[in-house]
Amino acid sequence: MIELRHVEKRLGTFHLRDIKLSVENGEYFILLGATGTGKTVLLETIAGMHKLDRGDMLYNGEDLTPLSPEERGVGFVYQDYALFPHLTLAQNIAFGLRLREKDKGRRRDEVHEIAALFGIDHLLGRRPASLSGGEQQRAAIARALIVKPRILLLDEPLSALDPRSKESFRRELRRVHELLRPTVIHVTHDFNIAFGLADRIAVMHDGTVVQVGTPAEVFRHPTSQAVAEFVGMENILLGTVRRGEVHLGEGLVLSAVLDGRSAGEVSVAVRPEDVLLSREALDSSARNSFRGRMIHITHEGVMTRVTVDVGVPLVSLITTRSLEEYGLRVGDEIWATFKSASVHVI
Amino acid sequence: MSDSADTQAARAAIELRPTRTRNLAFAAVVALSIALLAGFIVLAVGMVLARGLPNLWAGLSSPEIRFAIRLSLLTSLASTSLCVAIGVPVAYGMSRLHMRGKGIVTALLDIPLALPPIVAGVALLLLFGTTSAGQWLADMGLKLVFTVQGIVLAQFFVNIPYMLRVMRGTFDDVDPRLEFVARTLGCSRPQAFFRVTLPLAKNGLIAAAIITWARALGEFGAALMLAGATRLKTETLPVSLYLNMGVGDLELALAAASILILISLVSLFVFEALGGSPMVLSRTKGGRT
Repeated sequence: MIELRHVEKRLGTFHLRDIKLSVENGEYFILLGATGTGKTVLLETIAGMHKLDRGDMLYNGEDLTPLSPEERGVGFVYQDYALFPHLTLAQNIAFGLRLREKDKGRRRDEVHEIAALFGIDHLLGRRPASLSGGEQQRAAIARALIVKPRILLLDEPLSALDPRSKESFRRELRRVHELLRPTVIHVTHDFNIAFGLADRIAVMHDGTVVQVGTPAEVFRHPTSQAVAEFVGMENILLGTVRRGEVHLGEGLVLSAVLDGRSAGEVSVAVRPEDVLLSREALDSSARNSFRGRMIHITHEGVMTRVTVDVGVPLVSLITTRSLEEYGLRVGDEIWATFKSASVHVI
Repeated sequence: MSDSADTQAARAAIELRPTRTRNLAFAAVVALSIALLAGFIVLAVGMVLARGLPNLWAGLSSPEIRFAIRLSLLTSLASTSLCVAIGVPVAYGMSRLHMRGKGIVTALLDIPLALPPIVAGVALLLLFGTTSAGQWLADMGLKLVFTVQGIVLAQFFVNIPYMLRVMRGTFDDVDPRLEFVARTLGCSRPQAFFRVTLPLAKNGLIAAAIITWARALGEFGAALMLAGATRLKTETLPVSLYLNMGVGDLELALAAASILILISLVSLFVFEALGGSPMVLSRTKGGRT
């Protein structure tokens, strides 16, 4: 297990504040945060590139802070791969192995094995400059994994890839992780990557960790407005809790599943995909149902984002097909409906 | 306002006056300047070669020129090796280390570049010829005043800034993260340097060594002050040229000059072919961004 306790680091414009994290052995852990929140600095600090200003880093109880990068047993993969340009792919992958495994034959076998795992064994004689981004990315991960690091640090490994390669590479990362079970800390600004890949995620905001949980937990129950906005909660409304209901003003009352601690002023969030649209009122007392006027339509390919003014603007995400089938237009009167369970008090 | 129509017409006439002649004249002046300068250089160098090359074989068979060639090769190779041995770690440190007062240190290291070589020679002469430290070195067997070792030292002192500039620029261009990745893969600092950074700096190092060597071959002023100009003792090619011009032996002098010109031209060509730019030598490299 790797533990960060009260880690502080100031570097240039980045300021990491009181970072507390623990990542289990074999876990796939994603650090999520907007660009410029210091995620890369945090990874480089774990790897030993920067000294801590304050705090501790432990690996299975052993203090990492006095160790130099080569003593920490971390693998590091940069966003732009940072392969050694003067070496072939085989030499790149074998780089760390050369210091550990003196037997040339065994070394070659291991390089071929891991290259085959990533599907790049036919490229081993090539130099990095002649390879695609995806191929270089695979080589960079293979180079890090071949020495069996205690922790594998990935800095935005998917962001430089086109959408299609991104999806296939995400599946590949998952497969390799299930096969080799390295402890992974993966940094990204893209929440969608976390689903199906991360065991747990930590959301960073303003230089510190604001929420840790499984992707589903963070998605369904963001604990702050910053997290909610970051994971794509669009309908964030201010209200007051009275008699088990949320009063939004404008005479709007939401029924929500409230726990005891929600009282007074609250923010509530409703995911746009949870908001259904219909021509007629849906007849169910357990639902929040509001009549309003469509004020805005944004096409996003398969999906369309519709804003309905029900007193407050409410965004709904529906399929473009249903929009066309029902012939919805700006100005139409429409019902917007969502379940009490879809109202997340944050 | 009544004359505004006239004024406007006049202005339009000025604006539309054909500029072709002026543009042509401008281009002609530029082209002529280039032609004059290039012609001047070719003429000056060509004069030496025209009179020196026919004497080259005669010169090469003279024991004095042979001695000068041998001494020049020996001292320039020695001083270049010294420049590499000391310049590489210093340039690496100046490129990688973040320290207070780095700008001041950079300026200090450039001082020999700003000094006239003959002043650099006087400085070395005072340091090694008149102080107890110089005396101690001489007692230990390292005599630097009026000796061949002195020539090597003078060449080193005058040329080390060139080595530093080219190498610092080269190291600045090598991504420090590559070294960091090498370290996460298990390399110590020296291993990461020798396996990653130095191989990537190879071309720059060769270019730096060539330019340093070519300049060492031609070094005259500083060596003259520290090592003197003694025939068949501290007689390098430039010293030979100087001594023979002095006694009016134009043939030997021009033979030596021709050899120096040929070596300079070849090394300049190789330096540029390796991607080194002469700009590096005249430009103060700014801090890393």
